[in-house]
Amino acid sequence: MRKLLFGSWLLSLFFCLSVMAQDATVSGRVTSSDDGSALPGVSVQVKGTTRGTTTDANGRYSITASPRSTLVFSFIGFTNQEVPVGNRTNVTVTLESSANALNEVVVTGYGGTVNRREFTGASSKVSGNTIATLPVGSFDKALAGRAAGVQVTSASGVPGGAVQIRIRGVGSISAGSDPLYVVDGIQLNNSNSSSFTSSNPLAFLNPSDIENIEILKDAAAASIYGSQAANGVVLITTKRGKAGKTQVSLNYYKGLSDPIKKLNVLNTQEWIGLRTQALINAGTSADAARSTVLSTLRQPTTLSDAEIAALPTYDWQDAVYRRGNTDNYELSLNGGNEKTRFYVSGSYFTQDANIVNVNFRRGTLNTTLTHQISNKLTLEETIKLSTTTSNGQFGSPSGGSFLGAAAFSSPLILPSVPIYNADGSYYGTPAQGGIPGILNQNILQVSELNTIRANTNQFNGGIALNYKITDNLTLRPFVSLDYRAIRGKYFSDPRTADGFNVRGRIQDQFNENKNFLTNLTLNYNQTFAEKHTVSALLGAEYRSDINENLGTNTINVPTPDFQYASAGALPQSISGGWTGYRKASVFANLKYNFASKYDLSLIARYDGSSRFGSNYRYGLFPSISGAWLISEEPFLKGKSLVSDLKLRASYGTTGNDQLGSLFGLANFPGLGLYSAGYDYNGAAGFAPTQLANPDLKWETNTTVNLGLDFGFLQNRLTGSVDVFNRTSTDLLLAFNLPVTSGYGSISRNAGSVQNKGLEVELNSTNVQAQRFKWTSSFNITFIENKVTKLYDGIAPLQNPDSAITVGYTDFYGVGRTAILGRPLQAQYQIQYAGVNPATGRPMFYDYAGNITYTPTSPRDLKYLGTELPKFYGGFTNNFTYGGLSLDVFFQYDYGRRSFNSQTSFLTELAGRNFNALKDVYDRRWQNPGDITDVPRTINGNAETRGISSLSGSRTLEDASYLRLKQVTLSYDVPAAFSSRVKVSKARVYLQAANLLTWTNWTSYDPEFLNLGSGNSGLVPNSRTYTAGINLTF
Amino acid sequence: MNTFIKISVASVLMGTTVLLASCSNLLDVTPRSSASSETALTTAEGLDAALNGIYDRLQSTVLYGRDFLALSEALSDNAQATNKSGRLNNESRNIAQASFTNWGTSYLAINQANLIIGATANATFLSDTAQKNRIMGRAYFLRALLYHDLMRAYAYDPGVEIAQYNRGGVPLVTTGVSGQDQITFPARASIADVYKQIYSDLQTAIPLLSATNIPAYGSRPAAQVLLSRVALYNKDYATAVQYATQAIAPSNPALAVPLLANSSYISGWRAPNHPESLLEIVYTTPENIGVNTSLQTTYTTLVRSGDRSTTGGFGDLVPSTAFLNDLEAEKSSTGAVLDIRRQLYELGTTGRGPAFIECTKFLGKNGIINLDNVPAIRISEAYLNRAEANAMLGNNTAALSDLNTIRTRAGLPASTLTDNTAILTEILRQRRLEYGFEGHRWFDLKRRGQDVVKVQGNVPYTDYRILANIPSSEFATNKNLRQNFGY
Repeated sequence: MRKLLFGSWLLSLFFCLSVMAQDATVSGRVTSSDDGSALPGVSVQVKGTTRGTTTDANGRYSITASPRSTLVFSFIGFTNQEVPVGNRTNVTVTLESSANALNEVVVTGYGGTVNRREFTGASSKVSGNTIATLPVGSFDKALAGRAAGVQVTSASGVPGGAVQIRIRGVGSISAGSDPLYVVDGIQLNNSNSSSFTSSNPLAFLNPSDIENIEILKDAAAASIYGSQAANGVVLITTKRGKAGKTQVSLNYYKGLSDPIKKLNVLNTQEWIGLRTQALINAGTSADAARSTVLSTLRQPTTLSDAEIAALPTYDWQDAVYRRGNTDNYELSLNGGNEKTRFYVSGSYFTQDANIVNVNFRRGTLNTTLTHQISNKLTLEETIKLSTTTSNGQFGSPSGGSFLGAAAFSSPLILPSVPIYNADGSYYGTPAQGGIPGILNQNILQVSELNTIRANTNQFNGGIALNYKITDNLTLRPFVSLDYRAIRGKYFSDPRTADGFNVRGRIQDQFNENKNFLTNLTLNYNQTFAEKHTVSALLGAEYRSDINENLGTNTINVPTPDFQYASAGALPQSISGGWTGYRKASVFANLKYNFASKYDLSLIARYDGSSRFGSNYRYGLFPSISGAWLISEEPFLKGKSLVSDLKLRASYGTTGNDQLGSLFGLANFPGLGLYSAGYDYNGAAGFAPTQLANPDLKWETNTTVNLGLDFGFLQNRLTGSVDVFNRTSTDLLLAFNLPVTSGYGSISRNAGSVQNKGLEVELNSTNVQAQRFKWTSSFNITFIENKVTKLYDGIAPLQNPDSAITVGYTDFYGVGRTAILGRPLQAQYQIQYAGVNPATGRPMFYDYAGNITYTPTSPRDLKYLGTELPKFYGGFTNNFTYGGLSLDVFFQYDYGRRSFNSQTSFLTELAGRNFNALKDVYDRRWQNPGDITDVPRTINGNAETRGISSLSGSRTLEDASYLRLKQVTLSYDVPAAFSSRVKVSKARVYLQAANLLTWTNWTSYDPEFLNLGSGNSGLVPNSRTYTAGINLTF
Repeated sequence: MNTFIKISVASVLMGTTVLLASCSNLLDVTPRSSASSETALTTAEGLDAALNGIYDRLQSTVLYGRDFLALSEALSDNAQATNKSGRLNNESRNIAQASFTNWGTSYLAINQANLIIGATANATFLSDTAQKNRIMGRAYFLRALLYHDLMRAYAYDPGVEIAQYNRGGVPLVTTGVSGQDQITFPARASIADVYKQIYSDLQTAIPLLSATNIPAYGSRPAAQVLLSRVALYNKDYATAVQYATQAIAPSNPALAVPLLANSSYISGWRAPNHPESLLEIVYTTPENIGVNTSLQTTYTTLVRSGDRSTTGGFGDLVPSTAFLNDLEAEKSSTGAVLDIRRQLYELGTTGRGPAFIECTKFLGKNGIINLDNVPAIRISEAYLNRAEANAMLGNNTAALSDLNTIRTRAGLPASTLTDNTAILTEILRQRRLEYGFEGHRWFDLKRRGQDVVKVQGNVPYTDYRILANIPSSEFATNKNLRQNFGY
């Protein structure tokens, strides 16, 4: 009741303040300073009100405004212009095109936008043009290196596969770290519910439909989203129609992709020699070793040296890697009149990865409609439909063991193993006993015969009404549905290893997610006494998100032709589950601007979620921020050196509600639960699995941000610098309980993590001649991550560090250890010390820095870096000459230390029956006195009374890289020519992605996510060449 | 004024939403794939489901899914590891810490039993006495089994404690925990106290349980044999004799579970349900433990008896030469092995390396590879328990009678031994052979304080590795708990 009174009070306040004036109709035309052409779709607004219109196809507009008011003309890519109306009825303006960052429009959520000049928070914007033509399955992948503070990592090179975005570091230990994604006001459910493939819930969106992406980074910018905002918010605005003649636009591109690199491994003769030596070094006699090796390879043990020398080598990497193909077809229609505008688009995108039988298909249909029902009422609608099919790799993050993955196994299979029999059939099928060696599956057969697939159908729709109660007050109800249905299929062919003994296995999944959202917002905007502009937003919101899953598993099919469940003679299991949560919130934002120089913004959100324990159902997330536009002060105004200068400061809190685990009981972390599935003798059973914790609540992020936006030399050099301190507290940690209590652990809000960082964005116009222009933009982000608190009473490790550690399983299912005072995702390992030149034995450092052969854990553990980067960013150069444009984009990531688990196997040097890397082979210790980092080969990889030579930090590598991510050459065909073929605009382009990579990483690709088994079995990113054409009629 | 009306409408709309938002049950979402701990045990159906939840824990590989059979063989002198998958290599070599790991699972199950006992005792919703007795009887029986298995793995057995190494029994928790405030930090109870509790639980269970044998759940004869086993471990031989006798010859003779005859002995091991079972852990199709750690894959590479052309599992653990020699020791005049139990061991395949003679007691008896019900208590044990207890009491005649029941059933001639020590030795030898690869050997040596003599390296009884190590995570949370000596 108190809240109702408060709401009414605020509303009455608005009412009393509203000022009525004598209005007249003003009309006119807006043109571009570039070529004098009419500008359709320019926003014309009466300053300090929400009253506005847009220009028609001829750049004309008409609006009611009082003589005392000021008209604001704004259009993306152009400098805003404010024109006092006075007594005129015709106001014609020419807008200056602008590269000025401070004049762009910032999307702030809940239908709000603000001029960057008045924005008090920290955000980065990426324009849709930047990412539209990149041949990637999902837009998030294209964001890498584009915005400061935003780290984008592809899980792998699987088309349409998982991508991870971390905004300003990782601020959670065991809870989720994903930002909130909002597409046209629709808050997405971005949990990955596909059982068998690496899928990406954001892949439903055709990147070309995106107008822009706004990334809200600090609490001031994001706290309007309350308990979902701790990891930042990504606001995606899709294209909407512009009034004028209907424009039909066709876009087609074709791409080819090749592996970034193949690994150079041993040939048959080198391997036989090496393996023989490994056995001899382990004490086997030379003759016995030779015959053992030959019989392992299923060769006659009587082969002579000459016969061995004649044995062929087979290239398994060649057999499984392919030239990938990308095709993208798009058609969009865009037009309308002053009352009704539309944007309709359809697309079909196909991408085959550069590895056998991994591909992605997507069809999309997108419609947006804006319709003015009356002077007071406007309708905004958007419907996006998409269907995607992805065929995943065997051993991709959730489909089978990585041992059968083509990318993993192809360099490791013994080189003498043929791929096909003489008759063209697969060599070494399970019926023939498999192929020789530890990896005994013919991976080509496995990849070609098995089906690992996910079909995802998504519907994303929202409808909003804008009702202008007065010129200053708008009421906006909004309803949306984000629906996703996934059909997963995993068919293990009875001819392949996994299906052989069970005569084929069919697994099906159906997962359905319904995410319903509705909110009601009230916007108020008023200018008093010319200098005081007040705007306010008040809103209430409800969200319900429900997920249901069904899985079946059946074995024994008659023949491989039968791939659907009814053919399976022996059903194995059926699983089903339901999970869901609800949120209810009220929020408000009050903004005040004085004399276009000083801005103040207050935000508060009162957020409740069923995920939180009963004692903490609701949380309050406030923020305060301010900005000072220094360049408007008399002492700077008009100075040519400093064109723009703005100081920003913010402080606020946001929450993280991604509790639990991505796959488990994520929505009920605070309840005492009995779980099903503890069945016995065909009867249902259950068991207590979770103790109630009514005190469980959100994780809290407190962010302080200081920012400076600047433009020097007539904005030839613009940019911003932000420093931030993001303190994450109340982080969920699993407290171990004595298991004698019947429970292993309970989650409590206990830990803290700090992310301190510096972000720099620079844009410059280096050369601006008559027809030639060279611009650059550069961004870099430094982040220092540190675990500042675990819980009390943890016994320190028995080592000189006395390290306080907690083992945990993170939200994504990866087992990790948090170390107090160190960054998250730390590498706490025994340090490798190289090779004893006298004996070839691997050596390690003990805690005191002395050489030892038998280090012990935890005594000799040392902190050796983290999987989080020290800094990352991107660098773009754009060269334009007339209609010709060249864009060169580099992306970099520095300081990640990761285990190269793929290389680890390849470094065994035939200690087991795997192939090995040639350059490690060349560096191996062979004779006393050899100085090298590679120990001598030995069967089993461990010397007598020694630990495995691959232990500790031996394969811990620097995963830093600098990548020439994108080079685009495009040509805008001159209008004089294109108009002759009735095309108003024509553009052709050539593009290369991932052209060059500089890295010390020794296997395929340093860009990957460790989802538990390192980089083993991941499909590497590929080098892609694309050619495209874009026609507008 | 028109505007005022609209604002009012708007504010009412807003207000309603705000009220809805602050209404607390709007945010109460009840899980549908799981149940709240407040309501789970408030119906008879719920108690039955909870009981199934304990049996489900027994299926775990750390209990009867594998370890309580295979580890006892691997650690003892019965078996050797083949290194075909590498599993049980360390256990076979008695590497420190490579031992039983049932601590956590057992205590989870004990808490489930405690919760059921607590909920049933005061249940007003259980009007059917038979139902109430069944639930209580099974819960007490299971708790006794779980505590005894914990004691077998982690504590010395009564009477053979090594005083300077003895850290007591295991923590005794008999009250269910359903809230954070009920969590306790118990120290290890004395060995005697834990045995007292096990006796008490079984004595409570026996009259409550059905006299009819129901092997999937364990009924009165199962509890009686278990108590005779517990008493044997407790060197309480009179009690061992008493309860073994009750199981062998119940008051209603029609309910007696007979020993298998010589002629049906082998086929008994090929049937999905062993006819001698008093407690047999049942596995249904979705509960298949699979190719890595099922008993079939652990013991054999074969998929069916006599077919060496198809390789199934790994065959990681096979009989030691000493065990086979013992099994083949008695031969006919023509040199044929007399003991029919030898037929349960046969040569495996070469599909995963050299062929070994493998145990085929678990061969996908339920019709699917790696799917076998696991006999945890068989009626044969009652005879062997009684024979041993009588021998220990000096009742040679009675002991010899039970011994010969087992011997003649196996195809061996009746023993005519008279010396008490010799009879006892032969009883223990028969126990080894009868229960080969069924998980008794290590515990039988341990409870008698005997050294383990094996080619992989002897383990004297005074060695700290005789006891398993308690998981180290327990000591971080429970300061009252003491680790076993040596770890």
